[in-house]
Amino acid sequence: MTLSISIISFLIGIVIGLPLAFIRVYEKEASFIVDAYEKILRGIPEIVLLLLFFFGLGPIFPFPFGTPFFVACFVLGLRSSANQSQIYRGAIRGVGDEQMIAGMSVGFSKWRAIWYIMIPQVFNLSTAGLGSEYALLIKDSAYVYVIAVADLMYSAVHLAGAPPYDRVTPYVLSAALYIALTFPIAFWLDRRGSRRKKQIGL
Amino acid sequence: MEAKHVYKSYGKPKVKKGEICDDAKLVVEAVRDVSLQIRKGDIKLIFGPSGSGKSTFLRCLAMLDIPDKGQIYLGDEELTKPGVDLNKARARIGFVFQHIYLFRHLTALGNVELALRKVLKLPKEEARKRALDALTDVKVGDCVNKYPSQMSGGQAQRVGIARAIVRNPDIILLDEPTSALDPELTGEVIDTLRDLAKEGTTMLIVSHEMPFAREVAEEMISFDEGRILETGPPSQFFNAPNTDRAKRFMDRIIKRTTRE
Repeated sequence: MTLSISIISFLIGIVIGLPLAFIRVYEKEASFIVDAYEKILRGIPEIVLLLLFFFGLGPIFPFPFGTPFFVACFVLGLRSSANQSQIYRGAIRGVGDEQMIAGMSVGFSKWRAIWYIMIPQVFNLSTAGLGSEYALLIKDSAYVYVIAVADLMYSAVHLAGAPPYDRVTPYVLSAALYIALTFPIAFWLDRRGSRRKKQIGL
Repeated sequence: MEAKHVYKSYGKPKVKKGEICDDAKLVVEAVRDVSLQIRKGDIKLIFGPSGSGKSTFLRCLAMLDIPDKGQIYLGDEELTKPGVDLNKARARIGFVFQHIYLFRHLTALGNVELALRKVLKLPKEEARKRALDALTDVKVGDCVNKYPSQMSGGQAQRVGIARAIVRNPDIILLDEPTSALDPELTGEVIDTLRDLAKEGTTMLIVSHEMPFAREVAEEMISFDEGRILETGPPSQFFNAPNTDRAKRFMDRIIKRTTRE
């Protein structure tokens, strides 16, 4: 459950965050809106956001905002998109405007140049940031237990509250499991990133 | 009877970069009232001091920068008219950059193929064949699977030229193609350009390579402070320029480039 929430949120983050980053860099008029979006979503703690959406919108729109799983993915996904937008923005600047201009010189429109030329390079430059963002998502997914999603944290809390009332072991175990979830992927992303970077000389 | 490629443009006061200097905002007029015509098969060369607007003007021709005033035509089509499909137009123009700007994440072959496949929408085999031919024509056949970071500047620039010509554009614009290269690497690129010239490619080159200019250019255009100073065949510039500024510039630059 923890994994699925994290993965889905991460993907939502990409799908929303990537275009946002490019809008912020290349469309001056809309960039102000994106900026506001980012600031709002990064400024409010996830717990607040989760509770807000679940208990605030849940009663009004029981489907889908009454479903804990949906709210979890939705909120974490949006938050991740704000974070990722920042990551991609840095990467876009790292790749450089000249690649865009070269792309347009060959006949690509702005957005096609972004798709074929910028995005591959942007991802390559973002691996470090994305690795930590993923780890962050897995960690922050622990919050969803407050809206009663049966994830890792939830199980731990319940185990601790039931016989034999051992309040230490479940939490230690869950900590270990969280690390097990975050470490491998972050590590792998990092290695792939540096290998490819060396190859194309970034 | 050949179709005339009238490539005509008037760039009037063009407000380019606004530089902030202390509290005053300085506006740099890069290109002022420049008109130029280049017909199919012409080979013309633009030269002049740094900052005279040559590169800016060249980019305007390709609509990589949009002029503030004036019109740019490619054939019969006016590119500066609103609503024109600039991407289609740019696909008919080949551009070679001073700093090359190859696509870093692709091999030489990938660089040259990309536009064929995604802009001209050619099938895979045909695009590959044309790309390979272009790369062999510019004599970088051995770099085909190398990434830009693995090539020398001369090789990379030749790939850049291949990338520009493979679409069979109506005209090729070259912005100081050799200025960022060492003198040894410059030679390779110049040879390639010479070959292109022999084949009758329509070219407009911004360059300081005077020996090359003398040999290949049909007409030379000197730029100064955003305007055209003087135009004429190479012989005019090398023997007896009409304007004093052109004369002084020629003296200085001949001394520099024929020192090799």
